[in-house]
Amino acid sequence: MIDRTKAPVPEKNISFEIPELNELQLSNGTKLYFIRKEKLPIVYTDLLFLSGSKLDPADKKGLAYLTALLIDEGAGEYDSLALNGEFEKLGTVFSVSSSHDSIGLTLLSLKENLSRSIELLSKIVLEPAFEEKDFLREKKKVLDKILQLKDEPSYIAETVFEKLLFENTHYSFPEIGDEKSISAISNSDIKNFHAGNFTSSNSVFIVAGNLTQEEALEHFNKYFKNWKSGSKTSVPFLKPEPKPTSFYIVDKKDSAQSEIRVGHLAKKRNSPDYMPARIMNAILGGQFSSRINLNLREAKGFTYGAGSAFHYYQDSGLFQVSTAVNIENSAEAISEIIKELNGIRENISSKEIDFAKSYLIKQFPSRFETYAQTAKNIEQLLLHDLKIDELLNYTSKVDSATPDEILNAARENIITDKLTVLAVGDKTKLIPQITDKFNLEPVELDIYGNLLS
Amino acid sequence: MKKELLKIDCEKYFLENGLQVILYPDHSFPLVSANIWYRVGSANETPGKTGFAHLFEHMMFQGSKNVPKEGHFRYIQEAGGNLNGSTSIDRTNYFETVPANYFELPLWLESDRMGFMAEGLTQEKLDNQKDVVMNERRQSYENQPYGTAWEKLFSNLYPSNHPYSWPTIGWMEDIAKFELEDVKKFFASYYSPSNASLVVAGNFETAKMKSLVQKYFGEIPKGNHVRDIFVPEFQIPATKKIVFEDSVQLPRIYLGFHTTKAFSRDDASLDLLSDILTSSKNARLQKALIFEKQIAQEIFSFQYSGRLDGSFIIVSTAKPGISLEKIKEEVQKEILDLTQNGISTEELERAKNSLKSAYIFSLQKLDHIADHLNHYNYFLNEPDSFTLDLSRYEAVTNDQIAEAARKYLTAEHIELNIIPKK
Repeated sequence: MIDRTKAPVPEKNISFEIPELNELQLSNGTKLYFIRKEKLPIVYTDLLFLSGSKLDPADKKGLAYLTALLIDEGAGEYDSLALNGEFEKLGTVFSVSSSHDSIGLTLLSLKENLSRSIELLSKIVLEPAFEEKDFLREKKKVLDKILQLKDEPSYIAETVFEKLLFENTHYSFPEIGDEKSISAISNSDIKNFHAGNFTSSNSVFIVAGNLTQEEALEHFNKYFKNWKSGSKTSVPFLKPEPKPTSFYIVDKKDSAQSEIRVGHLAKKRNSPDYMPARIMNAILGGQFSSRINLNLREAKGFTYGAGSAFHYYQDSGLFQVSTAVNIENSAEAISEIIKELNGIRENISSKEIDFAKSYLIKQFPSRFETYAQTAKNIEQLLLHDLKIDELLNYTSKVDSATPDEILNAARENIITDKLTVLAVGDKTKLIPQITDKFNLEPVELDIYGNLLS
Repeated sequence: MKKELLKIDCEKYFLENGLQVILYPDHSFPLVSANIWYRVGSANETPGKTGFAHLFEHMMFQGSKNVPKEGHFRYIQEAGGNLNGSTSIDRTNYFETVPANYFELPLWLESDRMGFMAEGLTQEKLDNQKDVVMNERRQSYENQPYGTAWEKLFSNLYPSNHPYSWPTIGWMEDIAKFELEDVKKFFASYYSPSNASLVVAGNFETAKMKSLVQKYFGEIPKGNHVRDIFVPEFQIPATKKIVFEDSVQLPRIYLGFHTTKAFSRDDASLDLLSDILTSSKNARLQKALIFEKQIAQEIFSFQYSGRLDGSFIIVSTAKPGISLEKIKEEVQKEILDLTQNGISTEELERAKNSLKSAYIFSLQKLDHIADHLNHYNYFLNEPDSFTLDLSRYEAVTNDQIAEAARKYLTAEHIELNIIPKK
């Protein structure tokens, strides 16, 4: 018989060096960040435009999102279907994503098909068709998608919560827009958004792949040499002042669960206490064995899962606890969440800190396993104006955070008297519970986050 | 494209207690993945006791003789790894990926629950996980738009005593009823070395790994013989239409056709048929219903094949003001056209090329490779079957696609309509 009572411990630490990042420039001035990654014959390309939905005009919310949808509906000599067929022939995965801060066009291709894939990408960026018939079809698709999203309790919770926190700033609106704002968009708005934002000075390439720096430059120079620089776009942001703790509900008739969000706006990604705050959040709700999940799931059985996170937009951070619980336990769950938020401000044990540091340090290499993961690490640096030092010195940044700094990060970044508390679910069950538990009447909102009158 | 990339150089052997071991050393990245498949899934359950394989999977994370409740998560996360488990109709799997120097940790954890899980059981843990799973059912099915459509479809596609007729998560009233005795019995029946296969993949020395696998798993006693699943003979039911109301804005149609089991003769043709019907803008149903006629908001399909049987499912959401009858009519028109006129060589090439690249792309993640070695071992008794699997698709001809459509998609089927509540 072997001794099974103790967990085996590793003999030695592994050494891991992040792959070298090369900052290159195309002949037209566009920046290209390059990481050589061998083993498989794969190249991942991320063309990142540093402008997203936050640039939508007030009466045309959803413009960036719709432009991103339309960008690959035909380009150069290809119509929409033909263009899609060209990628399929290559077995290249082309995809578009958009967010408040950016739009990304990505290619996952075999090395042997890289040149042709980049050629197609260049047509998409430089010669998009923007045909009226494609515009009308995709616009209708967005309107119908907005209709469908009314069915999704977690989506409603997410968007209403952000509207409450971001008030009237450019992050308060869902990227997809609403019926009214989408209806106001014309095909020439799309063309203008493209002309103003899909410029070389507004974008960067991030390439992770099994090729040399010279090969990368050659391919991209070949197809992007005539791309004009254009102007850099930006838009001001005035962070809303936090308000005293308030409770809100959105009615979802007969729901089996309630979607709960609790939180407030937070500091930006580049704030000096980012790392202590991250360690603190790993303890609070950032992974399975965190206080919030162990309490709400493993002790109480209220939910399939619960957690907390700092989300970072370019202009502001956001802290939120999120979970879905059976409707009968909604108020109790909210109360437990608030208890945990107060608790983390009071004390954090050295055992918890050791665990969180170990978790954050040792999982770092796995963030470089795939080609896309590798590139996404660089994307985060660029979005938040961070230096490569952020990755190179990651381990020592985690390691050197002191218990005082971590506890201070809790006190500075979890503001328990300025919480926004939102529950989306059947109001006939939610209102009595919340009123009873917290001695107050929650404010009822519609699914867009507007006051019900 | 170099096909030899798909050759996964692994070694398979058995321990004396019957555990199948598959080792795949790969020194390209400092990670190790362990992945265990137990040959038990929701198909091993019986009516009235549905959802138990899945609930049991949850109990496997509640600790064992030497590992405390949630200990699996705590140990693996502290090591910087990630872990989970999943339950399907045919099998249950458990997996951990850790930094390479922690290669021994998953073996300790997995062997402790394979051998000594029952010794960590308590009523309190079971009650807690029943609540968690009931909330999982609420969150992932009942509180999702169209969330209960799948169980409605499959319980009509199969007779009620067929092992594929109930949902893997189980019926709510069954989950509520499970007792500690059920857990112990289930563990004794299915969780033994002889009913499992262990894959270890990644950055390790093979000789060292072999001796550790023997050390941790070798002394676990061989289990009892696992009873075969009872699969009733049944006639494919006559075409039937079922209508349900749900809190949804747009109506959605589900069409379910009986097909054939995983890795059987027509299985690959049906996968490719699904790609040709719905996998891209150019695919036939997407092109006709979404791009040209603009009557559907979304449409997708797949061949869903398991060890005992298979089905082909087509799902489409209608645009506002469009009836599901109209959607069905157009779908049938396209299928009829395909059966009569076949497909073009270009269509088939596009589908095959996308698939080929996808196989290479899938090799980026060690945990994916590890799980696939177990997948192939389960179905084909040979873990290194990436090449063979891809060649199944490469061998499919235009005629076989049309033939598969004719044989399966023009036959009896179940139609489910989910329509907005009035």
